[in-house]
Amino acid sequence: MKEDERREALENIELIKELVLQTKKHVDSYGGGIISIIWGVFCFVGVAGQRLVIPHGPLMGVWWTALVVAAIFASILVSQRYHKTQPVGAQHRYIRYFLRFWLPFLLLGYTLIFFIALSPSLSNHYISIVMLLVISTGYLIIGLLFFRGILYMGSIGYVGTIFSAIYFLEYSDIILGSLFGVGLIITGLVINKQWKNT
Amino acid sequence: MEEHIAVRLNKAIHQKARLGIMSILMALEEAEFNYLKERLKLTDGNLSSHLSLLEKEKYIKIKKKFVRKKPKTLCQITDIGRQAFEEYLENLEKIISSKP
Repeated sequence: MKEDERREALENIELIKELVLQTKKHVDSYGGGIISIIWGVFCFVGVAGQRLVIPHGPLMGVWWTALVVAAIFASILVSQRYHKTQPVGAQHRYIRYFLRFWLPFLLLGYTLIFFIALSPSLSNHYISIVMLLVISTGYLIIGLLFFRGILYMGSIGYVGTIFSAIYFLEYSDIILGSLFGVGLIITGLVINKQWKNT
Repeated sequence: MEEHIAVRLNKAIHQKARLGIMSILMALEEAEFNYLKERLKLTDGNLSSHLSLLEKEKYIKIKKKFVRKKPKTLCQITDIGRQAFEEYLENLEKIISSKP
């Protein structure tokens, strides 16, 4: 066997590996950066509204629900725009994964919030704590199973939420809203940069 | 006399651009013309000729459809194409592991 034939075979195998890996990575992170930024802004707007516009009462639930619906709608819109020049096979994959993964978590979050609202002994501050613990758990699972890069977001979120709940319960929504908001925006920028480089 | 392994390499796949097309389709099953063009940095004409060759070998299927009133050309890998690609890979591995 000639040495140049072996070298060419090796080069071709490397090319195939690289293309398959890059393609999967490229498709998996479709629009993920922009969506992450949307959810980062969602955190800031949510906490600002909670503190400044609707400080107490049942309207808080309506405010967060409306924001969640708006953020989901914006995420789907961004995802569809990103697919204009992308493979059709992968077009709805991201949206499908997104909804299948996060809807049960949102359901869990809202159920827990419902029980907190029912029990008079628990402060409303626990609402943001519970919601952020649920979201952090989601990030931890995504990080462990799919993207290692997102693991830090889940870990910081989880530890930060517990720390705030113990030491700064009064201001936990401001601290956690900022933490998650900044974290998500940075994650979005990193994903965008990686996506453009693949 | 036994055939040389390098001779057994599938000529339809053993070309950088077509190898790229097949690799992407192996990963995605189906991809749009513009996506392949963008990823492989090929011109329209160049990509079309490579796709035609692969289609002639029945390794891929080319479908045209309208998405939101805009025409889209979709390329999908076939079972024959998948099998041919796997055989091609096996032959590459044999070349690499063969004694000099």
